[in-house]
Amino acid sequence: MARFTITKDLDVMVEFDGVGIRMPRARKRKGPAKIRRFAGQASPEQVWRLRNVTLSVPAGQALAILGRRNSGREALLRLAAGTLIPDEGQVRRQAKIVPMIDVAAAMARNMTVRQNIYVIGGLLGITPKVMGDLIPKVAHLAGLQGQLERTLAPLTNRQINRLAWSIGVMTGDRAYAIDKTHISEDPEFAPTVKERMTQMRAEGVTFIVSSDRPELFLDHWDRAIVLERGAIIADTSLAEATILFDEIGGSDDEDRDDDLPVEESFEERDDLGEEEVWEQEDDGDRPRKRNR
Amino acid sequence: MLRMLVIRELQTQYSRFRFGYLWTLMEPLGLSIILWMVFSVLLGPRNLGLQPYLLFLSVAMLPWWWFTKGVNSSVRSFRRNVAQLRISTLPTQFWVLRILLVSTVEFVMSLPVIVIAIILTRDLPGPFIIFFPIAILAQFLFMYGIALALASWNVIAPDVARLVRLVLRGLFYLSPILYSVSNIPEHVRPLAALNPLVGILGLYRIGWWPQEIEDMVHYGLSLGIGAMTFVIGWIVFRRLESRVLKES
Repeated sequence: MARFTITKDLDVMVEFDGVGIRMPRARKRKGPAKIRRFAGQASPEQVWRLRNVTLSVPAGQALAILGRRNSGREALLRLAAGTLIPDEGQVRRQAKIVPMIDVAAAMARNMTVRQNIYVIGGLLGITPKVMGDLIPKVAHLAGLQGQLERTLAPLTNRQINRLAWSIGVMTGDRAYAIDKTHISEDPEFAPTVKERMTQMRAEGVTFIVSSDRPELFLDHWDRAIVLERGAIIADTSLAEATILFDEIGGSDDEDRDDDLPVEESFEERDDLGEEEVWEQEDDGDRPRKRNR
Repeated sequence: MLRMLVIRELQTQYSRFRFGYLWTLMEPLGLSIILWMVFSVLLGPRNLGLQPYLLFLSVAMLPWWWFTKGVNSSVRSFRRNVAQLRISTLPTQFWVLRILLVSTVEFVMSLPVIVIAIILTRDLPGPFIIFFPIAILAQFLFMYGIALALASWNVIAPDVARLVRLVLRGLFYLSPILYSVSNIPEHVRPLAALNPLVGILGLYRIGWWPQEIEDMVHYGLSLGIGAMTFVIGWIVFRRLESRVLKES
């Protein structure tokens, strides 16, 4: 499909050419709370999240993206992977870029570890047949051997994040767009992640990772960019970028997905209530709150 | 991948119920019997629909059941899968197609209800039964168009799902399910033909009641609007796809 177009003869892994994107930001009605509750929500306002972004990432490069909340970090990753369509400009990619962006949120707690591996693997582009052979490796990497038939419900968020990451790196693709949520709050798992990424990097895999602590993932980064208010304000080494990033305010304490509407997350707005006689009953697959 | 997602959805739906698949048969069969009792037994014989009424009702009730279940659930398919959409490398429309295919499988699995009605009424269909699979295809495309457009709109305004429920309730009475096209006054028929379900339900029924084909011009109009709905639904989805992804 259009959003996943691959340009095989492109001489870099991914290229942003004057890219801009508007994202919705929920805005509530003004006035007394009681009236607001009955009046419904005002149409979400669209705000520019990225504007005039031009960027080339050569194949095999490890690029760190530093940016504060609402700086457009996640939009940049999703545009690179093709899970967003730009409003302005063009994004071209040489090969598939795996979107490892809050993968854990897409998992279903009522499904078993094995079922989740199949479904998430499938979403990221691994066919069920190939996945069948990879399952022991995924379970080993995530430290969930012997728990494949258990549902996700009793697992901790950390375990689920480890599983998500372990499925993602199995795709065997040449490029990854990774959001920090997967690993940054799990120091015990960080060495495993680092080891795996170093190995993949030696194999020529391209990494675009958004993080405020990129040193957790790799020893050496080729390049770092700093995003601020939807624009690239620095394109330099990691050391210099980190200094600049600290100068503009550094990492957020509550560093959640930056592209969700500010006031409330999307799923909280979906409130349809119980279905009636004519309708199919809802199953347990409704999106649940993200693991952070 | 799509097959796996469809099977997974079906497993989720059926594993929770003690009677599992049997519900797919019992729900439309039960409703057909109730309506048959009301309109044929309780209210006495009247000039509503064609005979045998139980079969007449079942042949339209099953497609209607499929239509209402398919549309109602697929309207919410993007909203239900926002987290999946963020990482999915599959085409966006797969999420609607998945839910629609689930309801299609259920519809096919519920077809034995018609066989039961045939056995009870001992009324075998004629050669026009060949239109039955064509009707299934026409209904699928019509539903796919509607579902794509509505699921996309529902992402922007969740009110759409509620509105759809209301409209579907009205459409039940505006479509020839309880009654035959012949029950509609002649001067109103061109207006009724604006509803694509009139043509689709007619195609299902003409195997048993060839007289339903008499009004061919109106059926053509009805099916034409159904085909147009598919095209418009696809265009709407393409225009809103970017917005759907942003909301995920």
